[in-house]
Amino acid sequence: MKIRTMKYMVKEGFINTQRNLLMSLASVSMVIASLLIFGLFLMLIINFSYNLNRLKAQMEIVVFLEPDVTQLEADSIELKIKNDERVLAYVKKTKEQAYAELLQIYLEDAEILEGLSPDFLSPSFTVHLKNVDDSAAFTEEISKLQGVEDVSYPYESLKKLSTVLNWINAGSMVVLTLLLVISVSIIANTIKLTVYARRREIEIMKYVGASDWFIRWPFIIEGAIIGFAGALTSFILTSYLYNSLESYVNSHTLEYGISDLIKLVPLGNVSGQIFIIYAIIGMVMGSVGSVISVRKHLNV
Amino acid sequence: MIEFRNVTKLYPNGCIGLQNATFKIEKGEFVFIVGPSGSGKSTLLKLMLREEVPTEGEVYVNEFSIHDMPRREVPYLRRGLGIVFQDFRLLPNKTVYENVAFAMQIVEAQPKDIRRQVPVALALVGLSKKAKVYPNQLSGGEQQRVALARAIVNNPSVLLADEPTGNLDPETSWEIMNLLDEINQRGTTVVVATHEKSIVDQMKKRVFNIERGIIVRDVQEGNYSNED
Repeated sequence: MKIRTMKYMVKEGFINTQRNLLMSLASVSMVIASLLIFGLFLMLIINFSYNLNRLKAQMEIVVFLEPDVTQLEADSIELKIKNDERVLAYVKKTKEQAYAELLQIYLEDAEILEGLSPDFLSPSFTVHLKNVDDSAAFTEEISKLQGVEDVSYPYESLKKLSTVLNWINAGSMVVLTLLLVISVSIIANTIKLTVYARRREIEIMKYVGASDWFIRWPFIIEGAIIGFAGALTSFILTSYLYNSLESYVNSHTLEYGISDLIKLVPLGNVSGQIFIIYAIIGMVMGSVGSVISVRKHLNV
Repeated sequence: MIEFRNVTKLYPNGCIGLQNATFKIEKGEFVFIVGPSGSGKSTLLKLMLREEVPTEGEVYVNEFSIHDMPRREVPYLRRGLGIVFQDFRLLPNKTVYENVAFAMQIVEAQPKDIRRQVPVALALVGLSKKAKVYPNQLSGGEQQRVALARAIVNNPSVLLADEPTGNLDPETSWEIMNLLDEINQRGTTVVVATHEKSIVDQMKKRVFNIERGIIVRDVQEGNYSNED
């Protein structure tokens, strides 16, 4: 395609958008509505997975040794942990350290610990892995070693969280698809009006020998303009709403002392991606709508 | 060059558009297609510009085989054809000049060629002075002359006209027919579907008579019908 032709098409696209300003605005608001609902789900997913990953990263695996473990066994277990490539760091805790910790905890109710000596306690290793996904395999391997009594790892609850996240993901995909279909058909109807108003022109173009794409492009550009305008507006709205939500949530989690547990993703971290996603979805919705509405009129 | 070989066109609703038509129109010929309404004149033209596809038989226009042509090639076929309709089909929001230039723009012609050729086409149809006027300010005859200018501005080798004088008074009709003749003198093949008996009789061109989809008569320098 020649540059001159491209200029012509972009110009025509803009002229058309202006000519049906009211209908264009209606389409833009449709795009805004669907992107806002989509954005709600998107931010939900982003925050869920963000917090899940933070949670996972905080998870630690505690390897409890048998109370009567031999020094040799304990050393070989430590060696095994130390040389394992998956391990990021580990902390060794002897019976005595464990006892001291208990004393600290029950400082005021020391009678609970009466009759308890360090000998009853297990030495342990607290392990952080580089990649949380290795947890299950690592836990299983370590628990088979001679002298290991138990390995505690809260991966059942993590699994449940992951399942919840997957369901939310799937649910929002369904909602998003529905929204996209509805928006595309509304945009298609809007542009159908433009196309209808210009059907004579299209017919003449066909008779004079214009290619289908030559006729389609201005309408596609019109759709993309509508989509982009909608995307931009909903991005601004989303940012504003999310910022208010973020400061609200952060101040309240601080108040309840759970700011370590729940944390919203800072907008700055994801705003670039969100804008790109919005723009792509909006423009694709607009241009697909155009292609659908022009199709019928090209068969001359 | 236009050639039909045993061409039959049946419409989905069962109507017969054309039945077993075989003929050849050489380059530079002028042909009238005459016959009652619904006899198949328009079908013949529509097959030439591939608005319709033949049910049976072969249609050749310039170097294109209409009967087995992919859709994407249709624009290239039509760039070699000029088309004129009874109802002019001008764009109301474009001036006379823009209407003619439009035909060149959409085939991506060079701007300097557009600036050179549009005035030539307008001069040929005698509308140079009305270049900046909008179609609704023109008479029917003038509008049809704009349509003619648009049809020839890309220098097509074939000009197809479907009842070009159907909406015009006799005097204006003659003007249009004379213009078509002039375009033909310059080497363009011209095919005109018409009802204008007196014009056909006087112009002494090749005439096809169509009745109920059948070409019943094909004579050189013919009259509208055999009767007189």
